[in-house]
Amino acid sequence: MAQTKNNTVIQLKDLKKRFGIGDAEHYALRGIDLTIKKGEFVAIMGPSGCGKTTLLNILGLLDRASDGEYLLDGRSVEDLSSHKQAAIRSKNIGIIFQNFNLVPRMSVIENVALPLTYKGMSKTKRLTRASEVLKAFHLSEREYYMPWQLSGGQTQRVAIARALVNEPSIILADEPTGNLDSKASHIIMEELSDLHAQGNTIIMVTHNPNLTAYASRVIHMADGRIESDTSQHKAPSAPVYGRPLGGKKPKADEETEDSSAPTTQPTDAVLESTKSIQPVRRSMAKTRVRVKKVKIKNVRKRDRK
Amino acid sequence: MSESETENNMRNLLFAHHLENAFESLLSHRLRTLLTVLGVTIGVASVTAILSLTEGATKLVQDQVDQLSGNVGVIRSGAEITNEAESLTRTQTNYATATLTEDDLAALEELPHLEAIAPLMNIRTTLKSNDPGSTSKSHLVVGTTPDLAKINNLTLGSGQFMDEISNANAAVLGEQLSVDLFGTEQSIGKTFTIRDQTFTVIGVLNMTNQPVNFSSIDFDNSALISLESAKSFTQNIAQIQQINLRADSPSNITPMMQAAEEALLTTHKGERDFTVLASDAIAEPTSQLFRTLAALSTIIAGISLVVGGIGIMNIMLVSVAERTREIGIRKSVGASNRHIIWQYIIESLAISITGGVLGYLLGLFAAFLLGMVLPFTPQLSFEVAGIALGLALLTGVIFGLYPAIKAARKDPIMSLRQTH
Repeated sequence: MAQTKNNTVIQLKDLKKRFGIGDAEHYALRGIDLTIKKGEFVAIMGPSGCGKTTLLNILGLLDRASDGEYLLDGRSVEDLSSHKQAAIRSKNIGIIFQNFNLVPRMSVIENVALPLTYKGMSKTKRLTRASEVLKAFHLSEREYYMPWQLSGGQTQRVAIARALVNEPSIILADEPTGNLDSKASHIIMEELSDLHAQGNTIIMVTHNPNLTAYASRVIHMADGRIESDTSQHKAPSAPVYGRPLGGKKPKADEETEDSSAPTTQPTDAVLESTKSIQPVRRSMAKTRVRVKKVKIKNVRKRDRK
Repeated sequence: MSESETENNMRNLLFAHHLENAFESLLSHRLRTLLTVLGVTIGVASVTAILSLTEGATKLVQDQVDQLSGNVGVIRSGAEITNEAESLTRTQTNYATATLTEDDLAALEELPHLEAIAPLMNIRTTLKSNDPGSTSKSHLVVGTTPDLAKINNLTLGSGQFMDEISNANAAVLGEQLSVDLFGTEQSIGKTFTIRDQTFTVIGVLNMTNQPVNFSSIDFDNSALISLESAKSFTQNIAQIQQINLRADSPSNITPMMQAAEEALLTTHKGERDFTVLASDAIAEPTSQLFRTLAALSTIIAGISLVVGGIGIMNIMLVSVAERTREIGIRKSVGASNRHIIWQYIIESLAISITGGVLGYLLGLFAAFLLGMVLPFTPQLSFEVAGIALGLALLTGVIFGLYPAIKAARKDPIMSLRQTH
């Protein structure tokens, strides 16, 4: 596959999206050129209406571009039939939404197992796999809760688990912390950066500039175009050592490619932001552990009652 | 691994998922589902009841023919009716236009292997007894010959059947008619009038309980008189609607009826204005009539099935609207339009097939209840079961398709944005 050749997961060439016709014509995207490599954590920033979400929808094959080219894993996906696009969504893409979007009448484990249905897995296998993923998110004891019985943060962690369950090559997150308070937000961001550390490719749309600190690359969009992109200044993320939750072991040639990539010095601004963020991240990690313990205790108390 | 094999496997697993999903979602709205199922149940039940009763009626005539050991043939006046609608609209007693004559009867009497022959000249008229309590009602008077008793297996409760030497004004009554006219089945020697001619009862038939038979005569409710007497009502010209023949053995019936056809073609100068039917075919015109009636009543019953189908569509549309967001979620995690269509089609099929099975059982129950009052019992047949379930299946697909397509066409982005 093309992926092994040059690590490129997503390649966009002059991507445009038009809404409306004639006088009402309006371009949400006015020509996006973008290349995203395996293992990157890209944060897309920008004001409302700049086309971030449209871009993410197109990347997630929920929408089609009006013009331009979209290569996913080296394959052009723009002109595929909707059935084939659905198959690609099922195999290669995991999406996390701002409003979680769990199916309300299904339990947590059924929600996580849902994407596997469309891959044609048997029920037992689906639930086993979903259970594994939930365990990785420390949600094992919530498996048979219904979505409305969970807190916002937990719901989003379930949604992340669902996005990961079919071992996608990219994870798309549309304002994943938009509906969460700051504490839950940081827990979610910790999860995402853990996933990133494990070698997953993540593309996140956000309004919150604080969250960009977790990303390895920040793209600013304005008016349907890319205004700035930190990849011009900064090398792709650290080499991938951990086993991705996706299950694919990083290949040896990927490492060598990573190291051979041109390493430019990070700008002062980036250095500064990482300095300031490091302690925060560490402290957040602690809080997360503490919060989890408390939550588990609560559950046990409830169980006893 | 072969692509098609995994595709197949995938389809089976998805089917199981859709099925489970359908039952879960249907069970979460029990009352709603129950009412929709009821709609289909009623439709299928009426179709089943009508069809199994029709089968019963057809079987009744068939059994009579079988009972006559298959050596009976009939010749009917008028060309064979091939058009079912015509068979419905044609009046039963069209004696004024009967095409069979006494010459034909004479010609047929010469046939080889003929054991018995009886003409049937039907006159619908009012009978009046001298009994003061009797009311005059329209009844069937049949002019015939003594052989009829032999061919149609008529037995006498009392008295005697007409014979060659019996009086011209002698009559044999059906048991029910005797009761109607004189208030008793012991009516021998009593008199009644047909169009001002007085007839004397010489015999009363045993109850046959076969209102539907190949002679198209309910013998329980008719008066049998000699052909000669009947002719006196029609200016001495016999208007024979039907001639019943009996061969000496079942193997001779077919050649005999062929000979009869040839003989009649000669007397009719080549014009085929009569119908020759042998053994099994006898049952057909009657059952054909029933089939036409059944087809019409089935169509009417089918209307209630359509109403049931509209119920399905209605509920499926509600269900699709309620689950718009779920459709968006399913699409975003990899469901294609086909998956969504199947999910909803299977859900509507689950309703319609459940309704179909319940409707079939209810229909049979209703048919057997009706069979208690009707002269024939409904038949259990695979055909009826097949038609009932087939109709249910068809209803589910037809009325589930539009909501399913509507669900599948939903734009995932718009669906995900929808809030409840």
